[in-house]
Amino acid sequence: MRALERLRGLRVVADPVALDAARWHGDDVTVLRIAPDDAFAIGAEGVDVDDPDAIVESEAGFVGAWLPVSALLAHIEWPLPTDRPALAQGSVANVPAKLWLPAEDGDGLLLTAASYADDLTSRLR
Amino acid sequence: MTERSVPADAAPAVAAGRIIVDGRPVVFQAGDSVAMAILRGGEVPGRGGTLCLAGDCGNCLAEVDGTAYVRTCQTAARPGLRVERHPDGAMPELPVVAAMDLTATPLPATVEVHHVEVDVVVLGGGSSGRAAAAEAQRAGRSVLVLDAGAGEEIVAVYAGPLVVVRTLTGMLHVHAHEIVVATGAAEIHPVCPGNRLAGIVTARAAERLQAAGVDLGRIVSVGSPPAGVPVTSVDGRLVRFDGEGGRVRAVVTADTTGAETSMPADTVAVGLGLTPRDLLARMAGAVPVRVVGEAAADLPFPPVPTEGVVCGCMGTTVADLADAWDRGFTELELLKRASQACLGTCQGGACLPNVRSWIAARTGELPDPFTARPASRQITLAEAAADSYVDAFRRTPLHDEHLAAGARMDRFGGWWRPWHYGDTVAEYWAVREGVSIGDVSTLGKLVVSGPDVVELLERLYPCHVADIKPGRSRYALLLNERGHVMDDGMILRETETRFVLSFTSGGAANAEMWVRDWIDTWGLRVHVLDRTMSLAAINVTGPLARTLMTRAGLADPPRFLGHVHADVAGIPCHVMRLSFTGEAAFELHHPVDRSVELWRALLELGHDLGIQPHGLQALFGLRLEKGHVIVGMDTELDTTPRRLGMDWAVRMEKPRFIGRGSLERTAKLPDHRRWLGFTMPGPAPTEGSPIWSDGEVVGNVTGSWTSPLLGKALMLGWLRRTSFPDRVEIDGREAVVTPTPFYDPEGHRARA
Repeated sequence: MRALERLRGLRVVADPVALDAARWHGDDVTVLRIAPDDAFAIGAEGVDVDDPDAIVESEAGFVGAWLPVSALLAHIEWPLPTDRPALAQGSVANVPAKLWLPAEDGDGLLLTAASYADDLTSRLR
Repeated sequence: MTERSVPADAAPAVAAGRIIVDGRPVVFQAGDSVAMAILRGGEVPGRGGTLCLAGDCGNCLAEVDGTAYVRTCQTAARPGLRVERHPDGAMPELPVVAAMDLTATPLPATVEVHHVEVDVVVLGGGSSGRAAAAEAQRAGRSVLVLDAGAGEEIVAVYAGPLVVVRTLTGMLHVHAHEIVVATGAAEIHPVCPGNRLAGIVTARAAERLQAAGVDLGRIVSVGSPPAGVPVTSVDGRLVRFDGEGGRVRAVVTADTTGAETSMPADTVAVGLGLTPRDLLARMAGAVPVRVVGEAAADLPFPPVPTEGVVCGCMGTTVADLADAWDRGFTELELLKRASQACLGTCQGGACLPNVRSWIAARTGELPDPFTARPASRQITLAEAAADSYVDAFRRTPLHDEHLAAGARMDRFGGWWRPWHYGDTVAEYWAVREGVSIGDVSTLGKLVVSGPDVVELLERLYPCHVADIKPGRSRYALLLNERGHVMDDGMILRETETRFVLSFTSGGAANAEMWVRDWIDTWGLRVHVLDRTMSLAAINVTGPLARTLMTRAGLADPPRFLGHVHADVAGIPCHVMRLSFTGEAAFELHHPVDRSVELWRALLELGHDLGIQPHGLQALFGLRLEKGHVIVGMDTELDTTPRRLGMDWAVRMEKPRFIGRGSLERTAKLPDHRRWLGFTMPGPAPTEGSPIWSDGEVVGNVTGSWTSPLLGKALMLGWLRRTSFPDRVEIDGREAVVTPTPFYDPEGHRARA
């Protein structure tokens, strides 16, 4: 499989409504909504979010790779979402992971915490 | 008695190759199973007993290509395949596990798993199975037929429904909407003296052998004769088999008057009737299945066995059944366990009808068969583990640095961590007398922020929180509603409305859920971000730690329990002035992608100070000298602050915090347990050692360490009795209950 590479961006935890309206700074930003109040914006360099208590942190704790989704099916025991775009979260080969499925058909972005990178890579090899 | 003639077209004698049986080559023909090939060579695949050649019994088991307990009648012969017959009358030896590196990640499973989704899966490719499949296909449903004869051995039926199958190319997991069990019927095995001799086959097995052209010599048939096989049939009740050299030589029957007749034979074909092959249906339990054909038939039971081996797999005799019965095991499930009948490799496939018949003769009622459980077949660990994974253990960003430094890695708290770098004592002295760095990236790290954050933390923790000033921190226990210690860590205040909470490595995930649950429960306005895997942490500790920090550019280090955000060696860090080792310490939390850079910079800057990393083993010793608790290692599920001697960490004057009510109620009650320190001369005993007093075990050691500095064994452990003695016995030696900390009780060095 393709090597997992470090993903950099911003991690923002904020009021969901404020997060919905957030303006992200940076080129080619991909916003993964991990939870209603939690977003990982890959490629973001800044954010305007209307929440004085928002937690905004640089994030380098994830690694990922774009892969054909079919290559992962044998390692997933849960149904993939049919809507696009979608962020699926669960175990891939029994490793906590996320799968970003963009609007257009094609590869998906497999993400996991960097601390799981070796385990996930060896299991998908 | 009836003689039958040999069909002229019986034997297509075309050699297809050789297998190796007990080191000797054996020729097989196209289509032969391993058992068939061995029988063709004039020998038996197992060590005696009636052969069914249908996969129902355990009488043809052998080791095949290194895997024991293989049903050779279900295994196709192929050139070069190596067969070792199991020892006569004994189980095969278990393979010796070589010295394994238990610190290494287990190899990934090598058995492939294929997944199939169908509407209907039919278990059995006989006539009833084919009929069921055709019916489903006519209804427009997708169907998969599994046939053991085609090398598809059904191992298990699970909820889902899921059918697990061993195939010639790996494991097959069939996810189906409907399961049809069409496994047919098995032949009843004879139970009488001599039934473990070689040369006895069921009627159907005789038919197969005849069709394959195997020379069975003079065949005598008892009961229903095999079709198309030249046999001499004998009438009457089967009494016994007589043999010589482990092989049958004659079969003895009796007529209605009891008069016995002995008929010489090279092979005895036994046709005692059929019994439903319903193991998979019984395994299904709550999983709905449809049972069709002979598997669902109501068939007559075998005659009551009176003598002989009833369970060939386990060697259980009828006398053994009677003995267990007389000891009170008068129910099938109990009798099975007490006598071991039906506990062998065939799971009752051959013996269950006979055992049920035997019980029915005693009780007047036929007992229901027992529940069948996976696996129906012997499978290897690799096959059982196929498509499953061991738990993932996280690696810190410094993992490779540790390996390069010669660390022995071990799993602890869900992470790979350096246990030591080759010399624990040297690592210890580096901390006590110089400077050392340790990887503490595994600690839980939670950011909490919001207008209600102080209210949240005051309710969560038993210590005061509101009076922690920005830039300061406080050690805290985390209690549950029962006042039991769940975890511990630091509360670090950054601003009026933002804090960082730290937790133990192993407890961090639970602590995070705990915090989030209470925020939801109380409806508080607090945001939470788990930074555990986004931030690494390096602990710089030792009397020369401040010197190193200054060299690394930290001009104004925080005082004890203070914390600042500052660059260290050019890397942005959250610098926390804490101490777990008992020496001055700076915990540097920093982005994971800068960790290797920081680690190397600190080693470089501290080179002339004799800096070296320390592993967990040294850290545990250092903390033990300070008497610091490790939650999860020293604590039990119902450990309270009082039992730990940590009442100081609980402020009962607070009106409200989780666990307060329980602590208040139990405060007036006598406590029967205490976590205490112990010392004694000599080396430290093993952790977990029992603690003795007056000839009784009164506790156990939770942590032990031979202190290089104090020159004696230090221990922490539990005493569980109301009268707490001053002296106890550990490891056969007298130990003295000793106040903690053992080292620097005033804490001057940590604050230095």
